[in-house]
Amino acid sequence: MTARNRKRQVSEPPADLHAERETFVRNFLHKGVELTEDLIRENQALEAGVRKLEDDNSRLRAQLASNDAIRELMGTIEALERERKSLLTRSDTLEKAFHQNEARQHSIEQELNDLASLYVASFQLGGTLSLRGVVRHICELLEQLVGAQSFVVYVLGADATSALPIGWRGVDGSQLAPVSTEEGAIGDVWLTGVARVLDPVTRGDSQAPLAVLPLTFDGGTVGVIAVNKLLPHKQAWAPVDHELFKLLSAHGATALIAANLYEREDGVRSALQDVSQHLDETLQPSAEAKRAETVLADTRLAETKVGSEP
Amino acid sequence: MSGYSCLVVEDSPMMRQLIVFALSRIKNMTVTEADDGIVGLKKLATDRFDLIITDINMPIMDGLKLVRKIRTDERHKNVPVIVITTEGSKEDRERAMALGASAYITKPIQAPQVIETVKELLKL
Repeated sequence: MTARNRKRQVSEPPADLHAERETFVRNFLHKGVELTEDLIRENQALEAGVRKLEDDNSRLRAQLASNDAIRELMGTIEALERERKSLLTRSDTLEKAFHQNEARQHSIEQELNDLASLYVASFQLGGTLSLRGVVRHICELLEQLVGAQSFVVYVLGADATSALPIGWRGVDGSQLAPVSTEEGAIGDVWLTGVARVLDPVTRGDSQAPLAVLPLTFDGGTVGVIAVNKLLPHKQAWAPVDHELFKLLSAHGATALIAANLYEREDGVRSALQDVSQHLDETLQPSAEAKRAETVLADTRLAETKVGSEP
Repeated sequence: MSGYSCLVVEDSPMMRQLIVFALSRIKNMTVTEADDGIVGLKKLATDRFDLIITDINMPIMDGLKLVRKIRTDERHKNVPVIVITTEGSKEDRERAMALGASAYITKPIQAPQVIETVKELLKL
């Protein structure tokens, strides 16, 4: 082999080396492309991961905020619940107070009505000096205010052992006769001066009056009222009935006596004649009172003398 | 301020006074009293009333006749009428209502009952 051939042999790569280099370069580039594509894909995946994480993060933040809102709402609900309970308690208290007031109002109304009945009864009873008027008022009081359907008003007879009927309702007046002041329920009331009222009410007859009321004057009984029957729809005595009975007992006889005395007078002027003189007489101490005063003075004097002796 | 006027026809002074007392508890109520149906009719001839309360059992002219007269009078035929009677029987109530009474109260009367009935009829 010549030197020239040797030189050519050294500086020129063999033909398969070129091919090998080209293959190598091609492979290298190919791998570069693949690597780049891998990197791009990986980058995309990472970006997707980041986006997902960001979404998750947002969702979690929203959830956290939502939880806070829920907690806040729960707090509000609890506060409202407390307020509701407080309002309910207040409402119950107010309702109780309302019912109490209603009952009180009803009771006051009833009391006012009773007082009005008593006032009217007293006003009418004392508002006339006509004997017929007084008897009529007594009867009306029993009929209209008490609700008595059948009753008789008796006053002391001249013999002092019997009572004469002077007013009635619900009975045949022609059949009425004087009654004894010493027998039966009327006799008991006459003797004691205490009203006899059957309570609870039983449906009675004239033999057993539902109520016998004394008409009293100056500490004695001068008349009675026998209530035999009440109106069908009146089932029981009302509290005011007892007060009306007391009023009748205390003022009925006085009104009757005053009206009867007035009947003998010749009008108002005659009835008022000598009023001042009579008042003066009643203001002057009686002879008996004067005597008692003298005896008392003498006794005191005697005691003083005894006390002063050594 | 408009008021109300009521005619009370009742022969018993006691009952009249009680009814007047009950009516006096209604604000702006003026009451005119009559002691029988005839006097009541005379009052109706000269005055107008928003309400009439009448007893049924009265001498001279009873409450039922008065109700009939009121209902045939063009001036008063629409005025509410309350009748008061001693009996609480259904027949009496029906008789009065058939004649044109607007409401019915039985004796012994109670002021709250009168006030309630009047307020209901006058829509107070």
